Amino acid sequence: MSYIAGVDIGNSTTEVCIGEAGRDGHIHFLASASCRTTGTKGTLANVHGIRTALKQAMESIGRQTDDLSLIRLNEAAPVIGDTAMETLTETIITDSSMIGHNPSTPAGAGQAVGKLLLIENLTYAEQGISYIVAASSAHSYEEVAGLINAASSRITITGLILQADEAVLVENRLQKKIPIIDEVAQIHKLPDGVMAAIEVALPGQAVRMLSNPYGIATLLGLNAEETRTITPIAKSLIGKRSAVVLKTPGGNVRENVLPAGEIYFHTAGLAGASGYAQGLAAPSGEPYPAAPGRRVSSVNLDEGADRIMQALEEAGAIQDISGQPDTNVGNMLSRIRRGMGELDKSEGADIRITDILAVDTLAPVLVSGALAGETCLEKAVGIAAMVRTQKLPMQEIASQLHMELDTEVTVAGVEAVMAAIGALTTPGTMLPLAILDMGGGSTDAALISKDGNVTMTHQAGAGELVSMLIETELGLGDRHIAEQIKKYPLAKVESLYHMRMENGQMSFVEESIDPRFYGRVVLLAEDGLIRIEQDIPMEKIVQVRQEAKRKVFVTNAFRALRRVAPGNNLKNISNVVLVGGSAEDFEIPEMLMEEFASYRIVCGRGNIRGSMGPRNAVATGLVLSYVGEKK
Amino acid sequence: MIIKKPSIFIYTCQADSRILKEICAGIEEEGVFFEVTEQDEEDIDLLAWQAANDSMPGSGIGICRTTAAFQMRGLEKGRNVERCQNPAREQSRKLGADSARAVKKQAFK
Repeated sequence: MSYIAGVDIGNSTTEVCIGEAGRDGHIHFLASASCRTTGTKGTLANVHGIRTALKQAMESIGRQTDDLSLIRLNEAAPVIGDTAMETLTETIITDSSMIGHNPSTPAGAGQAVGKLLLIENLTYAEQGISYIVAASSAHSYEEVAGLINAASSRITITGLILQADEAVLVENRLQKKIPIIDEVAQIHKLPDGVMAAIEVALPGQAVRMLSNPYGIATLLGLNAEETRTITPIAKSLIGKRSAVVLKTPGGNVRENVLPAGEIYFHTAGLAGASGYAQGLAAPSGEPYPAAPGRRVSSVNLDEGADRIMQALEEAGAIQDISGQPDTNVGNMLSRIRRGMGELDKSEGADIRITDILAVDTLAPVLVSGALAGETCLEKAVGIAAMVRTQKLPMQEIASQLHMELDTEVTVAGVEAVMAAIGALTTPGTMLPLAILDMGGGSTDAALISKDGNVTMTHQAGAGELVSMLIETELGLGDRHIAEQIKKYPLAKVESLYHMRMENGQMSFVEESIDPRFYGRVVLLAEDGLIRIEQDIPMEKIVQVRQEAKRKVFVTNAFRALRRVAPGNNLKNISNVVLVGGSAEDFEIPEMLMEEFASYRIVCGRGNIRGSMGPRNAVATGLVLSYVGEKK
Repeated sequence: MIIKKPSIFIYTCQADSRILKEICAGIEEEGVFFEVTEQDEEDIDLLAWQAANDSMPGSGIGICRTTAAFQMRGLEKGRNVERCQNPAREQSRKLGADSARAVKKQAFK
């Protein structure tokens, strides 16, 4: 009787599977476990994670790790995925020309025009001029209301801008009702004596006058030329509940396009081939001279994800991908490359970026020059890159593990083949079979033909890119909560006794829900609710989450399967089994099933050994292949 | 027919007037009605719990001297949503605003 362990080290998770080899050569599976990969995949730091997972699995059957007689590690594919994000545009407000935000409780409604006047200077106000008064939070609501009531018999006050959240309090104490905007943090930056127009929208509506260039022209008396220049201001106020526009000579809202840099694709072109792919400009001052028999094509990052992916497709067999030196994309790609270089320290290591996945996204960025913390959705591109080296130092991990545990450790089997053997334990599968391994760092596909030949491919972009897209598009600034949004369905707590699920279903509870969750959007995790701190509507989160998953996994599933399919035609694939951590997701497999339905492909979440779900395929394959080798 | 206004109830017992005023300001800014009643009861938990149960939208505040607590109907006595002793101006405002947000079914500040 001997215990055999299969260990699969992935980009984000280490999985183990324990089997017992009987004398008849049959394998009984006893336990499995998984934990986070410690360190970068393929480094000695992994040993710690492997030991934790092994200990967990052995303890669940009442054994020690000493009892293992053999540990089989996967020959991990020497590819590592990495992600990065670059914003392509930035918005700048010059000369504090506008305020446009959504305070939770503005007061009054309508629009007004007047000269800006600080409340301290009320006594200097002249008759016959309309004023918009600005008050800092140093003045209490009673003081502000008192001063304005006293002054309004003498001068005309048409509107009020407050720093504190006291608009309703002031309005309730005013004799004459005027529109009031509050929560303007940088009120001291407002220039005294400048003409301004303010607007507060009716409840449930957005501003109408100030989001219309002609509306601003009407209020501030602009000519045709001036109206043209304030159009960006009007555009940026669309959808706001309250707004202020100031008539300053140099004031404007500008959108800058940031120089993002070019991406170069190095391909194995035929000697004397027709030069650059059609439609791609030859890079001027080419910093990477093409090696003989190679071609280089390029695409600019700010042309957007679609164009980048199209250029990648057109380029053909990629040898390497690099970026224009000293640009955002250049630094990003060389950083990824350097990280990989630390793993393979062998002399003359051949480290290349062989695939990228670019995705268009929008990131809410704080506008520079903003007076009330306004944000603007800026264009950005998210990129996942796949780095390939000759070989990962798996043998070193094996010897380290052997030393620490005093057990025989072997490096066995190619990852994709092992995954296929494991996937075949799913009930209802047969050869030929395609597997789609959707992990954290990469999306891999393998096709096993009837006679056991395996073709495989590794694509950049998987779960981690989805997390990054969710993090940036929702402006969370926290990768951990983005990962949880990816993993769990949402609900809104509507009272202490019920919540509404994202699909509209109501759920009632016996015990009252903790008041901390009241009125909030929450995630339904296994061990209770997780509160989302940001004030983002549930529908918006659902939309961003599903869009991110679709952009990454549907795109990559098609790319990967087309590459392994006979004749590069998806119709030549009949069965696809989804494995890997992201196949466990509650909606990704269904999204893919819908997409593949039109190709008459049987596609579904794997169920390894009929019980493990889509996880543990490689580890299971490693244990199973042991029997085959013995025979 | 007696129609009750959807007011937040504030039950007080020799309440500190500055605290009471700021709590009322917090509710007013959110645009919700409130009613203040003086009670002969010193237990802050009971004051808040009773106020929440008597209020039509189920949101109540108890203030005893310099201690304030905010309760919602459905929670057991003593399990206050918020409770503060000698609150600063901002804290009192927040307690008031949150009791109003409970009525409006909005997330707390």
